[in-house]
Amino acid sequence: MDDKQHVRSNHESLLEAWLKASADFWGTAVRVMPGQSGAFGGKEAADKASKGRVQESLDSTVRTWKAFATVMTEPSAVEGMIKGIGAVPEVLAKILQPAWQGFFHLQEDFLERASRIGKSTAAYNFENLDQEAFKAWLEVYEKEFKKFLQVPQLGLLRVYQERLTEATDKFNVFQATMAEFVSLLYLPMERSYKVMQEKLGALASEGKLPENSKEYYRMWIKVLEGHYMTLFKSPEYVQEMAKTIDAMGEFNEARQRILEDILQFLPVPTQKDMDDLYKELYIMKKRIKDLEKKQTSAEPLDEG
Amino acid sequence: MVKPKIPVDLLLASLAEDAEKAQFRAQKASDVLLEPLDTQIAATPYEVVYQEDRVKLKHYRPVTETRFNAPLLVVYALINRETMLDLQPGRSVVQTFQRAGIDLYMVDWGYPTRKDKFLTIDDHVNGYIDGCVDFIRQRHNEAKINLMGICMGGTFCVIYSALHPEKIKNLVTTVTPTNFDTDQGLLHIWMKNLHVDRMVDTLGNMPGDMMNFGFLLLNPARLMIDKYVGFVENMDNKSFVENFVRMEKWIFDSPDVPGETFRQFAKDMYQKNLLIKNELVIGGKRVDLKNLTMPLLNIYGKFDHLVPPGACDRLTKVVGSTDAEDLCLETGHIGIYVSGKCQKEFAPKIVRWLKKRDAEEEVPSAREQAAMPAA
Repeated sequence: MDDKQHVRSNHESLLEAWLKASADFWGTAVRVMPGQSGAFGGKEAADKASKGRVQESLDSTVRTWKAFATVMTEPSAVEGMIKGIGAVPEVLAKILQPAWQGFFHLQEDFLERASRIGKSTAAYNFENLDQEAFKAWLEVYEKEFKKFLQVPQLGLLRVYQERLTEATDKFNVFQATMAEFVSLLYLPMERSYKVMQEKLGALASEGKLPENSKEYYRMWIKVLEGHYMTLFKSPEYVQEMAKTIDAMGEFNEARQRILEDILQFLPVPTQKDMDDLYKELYIMKKRIKDLEKKQTSAEPLDEG
Repeated sequence: MVKPKIPVDLLLASLAEDAEKAQFRAQKASDVLLEPLDTQIAATPYEVVYQEDRVKLKHYRPVTETRFNAPLLVVYALINRETMLDLQPGRSVVQTFQRAGIDLYMVDWGYPTRKDKFLTIDDHVNGYIDGCVDFIRQRHNEAKINLMGICMGGTFCVIYSALHPEKIKNLVTTVTPTNFDTDQGLLHIWMKNLHVDRMVDTLGNMPGDMMNFGFLLLNPARLMIDKYVGFVENMDNKSFVENFVRMEKWIFDSPDVPGETFRQFAKDMYQKNLLIKNELVIGGKRVDLKNLTMPLLNIYGKFDHLVPPGACDRLTKVVGSTDAEDLCLETGHIGIYVSGKCQKEFAPKIVRWLKKRDAEEEVPSAREQAAMPAA
């Protein structure tokens, strides 16, 4: 106890000495400023400078600090400050703990969402895993991740922020649907190879394999053509194609909105401006043509 | 000796032979490809006699003394270019018509830009086509002219003839879709399910490149693989290479289609099939196919995968004309114009058909008399 009190009193006297020294320092510093003494510019210059706004605020700051430092040299104030400093680690820990907990919770949530990809694909046949992977990703994206991009934006630039997040969302959807469409287009290739393998196997066992290498190509191309015809007539393909074109259209629209936002700050007309102009020109031309036609048909009557 | 089930030796021999041939072919091909090639298309001289906006009217003078009474106006589709009718000497419908003494006019739709996106079917039919028809009528002092349409151009010609029958003497439609309620062609299946409004609102005009890709997708095995395998196998043949390149030039020369025209064509034709049902409205007027009272020759291809027979063969049954004839050729959509065999069948048949009806004089009706151009 005596040691603690001894350490404490050492701290208090150290702090007191520091505060007193800093008050004296700043007081002296202010006195030797060019504005304060007549040493550099004479009394008149000193009077002018002393009236400056910067000098006034500096004087006020130093006076406040000196008063504060004087108060702080009192033993009770010094003791209070030391107690406060001692409490800082505890306060920091209290602030940081919820932040850490929040971060770990988010990370846990994210991992759980990502793990649902695995659960979704497990519901599909293994045979169709490659095909269905895109559908599964899109489903997970729509359910789990899309909502983050749909969080309402705040502030003066909220409209632009919303357009950016919307374009990001549409891009993700477009990428997923396009990937699925392209994988669908590749399916007939894959299946044609399988069919060729079976065919060649059957021909080999019957001893009817063609001797000309070109025959193999002709066989394969016919099989491939047949598979593509089957695919293209299927409702699944038609739906997928329509979905991909729709996604492309939506992404284009969202991207166009962002471009228009950027262009409005530049001295160039946007596509919308030009389209509006073209529309007006088109309507005007039509009206002029109609009037010309009416005039042409009316002329014989006038002459008669 | 028992014949082996897998003739490995014969296969290897065949491969070796093919490799040797391929090597020889590659050497010759580099000579062919590096020397000057005649790949010009649409080489027949013409004169631009009329222009409205991007649309030009080309005139090909006849090269013989014999002339038809009525000139012929050919209207191509908005997709691809009318240069296909004059692809190369020896396979030129234009030259066949010229040699037959036909005063030939052809619409060149040009290359639509963004400012054309608001043009509708009405603008094309009652605007540009009507302007060309009136110009020709006035130039030749004829009340009526012959009209021939190709593919979508044929659809426009059918609409025009139904709205202005007093101006058309004879109508020829080739590979022209008029009935869209068929599943014979992939295009008909796909177009029914497209959300056209979003496409047009987003893209403005329908990009030619996008349509090209769509057409290639109709048969990717043949159009994206087999075609080029065939080219590689024959690239030592200069004549083959020249013809191939001409075809490539034409097939990938695809203008954009004005957005509103595409929207209307896709919705009113492919999705609602209004034309054949006499429910289509253009420029505020209903298109009634019964008004097609002029002689009609309707030609289509049996193996046409773009405009299948089911899309063409109903027209002659619903028109008002008593002189309507179908001609189904054993060919595809483009083969009808470019195949050597069809060149001998297709264009000469049109010439004979028009000649027979060119000599026939008719007493013009009151409406027709009113439509006669001022002398």
